[in-house]
Amino acid sequence: MMFLKAENISKSFGGVRAVQNVSLEVPENSIFALIGPNGAGKSTLLNLLSGIYQPDAGQLTFQEKNLIGLPAHRRVRLGLARTFQKIRLFKQLTLLENVRAGFHIHQDAPFWKNLLHGNSGSFRDEAHELLEFVGLESLAGERAGALPYGKQRLLEIARALATRPRLFMLDEPAAGLNGSEVDFLLDRLIQIAGRGITLVVVEHNMDLVMNVAQRVFVMDHGEQLFEGAPREVQANPRVIEAYLGGEFQ
Amino acid sequence: MSARLVSLLIAILVLAALPWLLPTPYWRGILVLCAMNVLLALSLNLVLGYTGQLNLGQSAFFAIGAYVSTILVKTYAWNFWLASLAAVAAAGLLGLALAAFAVRLRGHYLAIASLGFAVITYQVLVNWEKVTEGVRGIYGILPPVASTTGLFYLVAGITLVVYVLIDNLMRSPVGDTLRAIREDEVSAASLGVNGALWKAFAFGLGAAIAGLAGCFYPGFVGTLVPDAFNIIESFTMMAMVIVGGMGTMIGPVIGAIVLTFLPEVLRDFGEFRLMIYGLALTLVVLFMPGGIVQAWRTLLRSR
Amino acid sequence: MTDLLTLLVQQSVNGVYLGCLYVMVALGLTLIYGVLNQINFAHADFVTVGAFAALFTATRFGTKVLGLPDTGAYLLSMVAALGAGALLGLAINAAVFAPLRERGDELRPLIATIGVSVLLENFQLWLLGPIPYQFDSPFSLETIRIGRIFFTAQSVLVVVAAALAIVALYAFMKFTFLGKALRAVAQDRETAGLMGINPNLLIALTIVIASALAGVGGALLGPVLVLTPFAGATVIVKAFAIVIIGGFGNMQGTIIAGLLVGVIEAFTVQYLGSGLIDLVVFVLLLVMLVVRPTGLIAERKEENV
Repeated sequence: MMFLKAENISKSFGGVRAVQNVSLEVPENSIFALIGPNGAGKSTLLNLLSGIYQPDAGQLTFQEKNLIGLPAHRRVRLGLARTFQKIRLFKQLTLLENVRAGFHIHQDAPFWKNLLHGNSGSFRDEAHELLEFVGLESLAGERAGALPYGKQRLLEIARALATRPRLFMLDEPAAGLNGSEVDFLLDRLIQIAGRGITLVVVEHNMDLVMNVAQRVFVMDHGEQLFEGAPREVQANPRVIEAYLGGEFQ
Repeated sequence: MSARLVSLLIAILVLAALPWLLPTPYWRGILVLCAMNVLLALSLNLVLGYTGQLNLGQSAFFAIGAYVSTILVKTYAWNFWLASLAAVAAAGLLGLALAAFAVRLRGHYLAIASLGFAVITYQVLVNWEKVTEGVRGIYGILPPVASTTGLFYLVAGITLVVYVLIDNLMRSPVGDTLRAIREDEVSAASLGVNGALWKAFAFGLGAAIAGLAGCFYPGFVGTLVPDAFNIIESFTMMAMVIVGGMGTMIGPVIGAIVLTFLPEVLRDFGEFRLMIYGLALTLVVLFMPGGIVQAWRTLLRSR
Repeated sequence: MTDLLTLLVQQSVNGVYLGCLYVMVALGLTLIYGVLNQINFAHADFVTVGAFAALFTATRFGTKVLGLPDTGAYLLSMVAALGAGALLGLAINAAVFAPLRERGDELRPLIATIGVSVLLENFQLWLLGPIPYQFDSPFSLETIRIGRIFFTAQSVLVVVAAALAIVALYAFMKFTFLGKALRAVAQDRETAGLMGINPNLLIALTIVIASALAGVGGALLGPVLVLTPFAGATVIVKAFAIVIIGGFGNMQGTIIAGLLVGVIEAFTVQYLGSGLIDLVVFVLLLVMLVVRPTGLIAERKEENV
């Protein structure tokens, strides 16, 4: 049984084919990297997997459940979570409120209880733990919009983890981070994977990809170019020609 | 005793004392009006302030509450409370109807759609003369309680209960969810939030509360004409929410109080009154973007 | 049967005339939305001010001081209305749009312009009183007849003015450097800034052009409206509906929608009664929003996630 499986999915925007006939299989308990030059269709593919877009054609299953037609918010309940390339935090809310909102699908207090008691304590401890995990606990009461860029990325990860995902998709988590921030991120990603959460990472940072990923999926012009272990990708002439080029010699 | 309970007790005491502090019938009337305005501001704040939906049509729900309750009492001889229940339900359902648009539209499109919704409601009130009496209006409407003080206690009491319940809700995970939608809907969906469902919830509840305020208005004024529910009414509610500080609980209350009493205080200025009102609205937006509440907080911090 | 045909043609002619008036007002709204993504609620009052400026220019200045004939005075008054609108545009940009632009939010500029609208309406109320003014255009008296279809010289003037405005606007956008720059700003403010275009100046220019259009619209609408300080408000709700039906920021869509609403209004008056105009227009708006939320001429934009 394949964990996440896409077969021949395609998506066009006004005649431009962003993703064409892409098939991929993400095994459970792995770190799966999605790479390719700018405009290769990686983010679109992630949006198709997470349900922000629906594909024009193709099959998409998660743990053998059909995802086609299922909107993003329903997929979260199946265990899919994601972060965004352009960070999308709730900027006016505090860090704690951001993470608390992530527990949405696990809230089970009946409506009347919320109405009569406020019940503001739910998942408070867990939210603090997640902030602790990404090293932001001391800033819990700050406004998310006031955070420096690197910390915003980490907060977005903590917020997504609050949904308790089984498959976690990250869209360029290292973009805009400095060296030490990338190291910290790398460490956290390995820890997340260690908790049995499968990761799909769109990334430009090759160190990160080659160090953590078990499988690497290369895209170019909306199509699949190559798939294999990091070593194979590094050695593949087509990939080097299309994408890595001088950057990787 | 928690700080919340203390504030609640103080609020009850102040409300109880108010009719005796402002003893003339005129000022007691203003008090009733003020309580209704607070209720309306609370209702709009739920949609505009907490859920972030640009709704310019709140006056429509106020109108539905007023007309449905009055017609049921006057034409069909219903009991006031039963009629009010029906009116609140009707307003809530109409709120859900507007939500059907809010689910598909964003920002300014929703603003104009909701404006259109209010225009249509107003036009129906004017044109459906068989039921609403049109511009001729409905006369001789009695309030549920005879004395102005009694009416104030009733409306203020209901408003206080509504305030506490909304406050609870906004402290609960429901509040987190609505705020998340306001901040970023796509992001909220990535956390499993069904935006359509929760927007419908906010619109429906907000509309029902505005409808509730509408139930008390006709009896207080004694007459009912469509002009009381002009688009300007929506703008006035919005001004209260913004001037006070939207997305906070106390802000709209302060805004409603200030904007109810300001025109009365300015009555001596005659024709300048509404000019000052318009100027004040613009200036607040320009120089106090978070309204009175935020300005106050900034002031406290700087001292 | 020919009677029915005559009636249909006559009402269509009336509708196009009305539609042209609405287009003048709605074009300004859509122009501002195109570059700024903001709604100017006070646009309504620019129409009213334009109408009053025209009225007083024609009656107090044109005929009395300059000794112009009625027709000359009316044409002069259109220029005055244009100027009044342009000045108001300059003022509202400086007071509201420029200071609020940096914060990039949809709500606050909207509310600030509502405040300006209330201020302007009540200022005019204080200055001019609530009693409607009589504003006769000399061109309204001249009737032109083609076959069995009647229309006034005023309606010809309105159609010509609207056509001129549209042609001038298109020519400006297509052929001048400023127009091209404007389109660049509308598409992408940051990139336009990099190209050495000063977006602030261009946004100001757009608002001035849009407001001048509203002013002229006022001069042309003056004879049609019940001219009180609140006259513009009755037009603006329809203009909003037109802008939405046409698709916010889409000039072509706005023109088509404006004419459509004019024709629908003419037929509503004929068959349902004038009291139902707003009802019909806004029901159409809501239906439109359900069927085609992006307007008549769809501009498909995928959100960049």
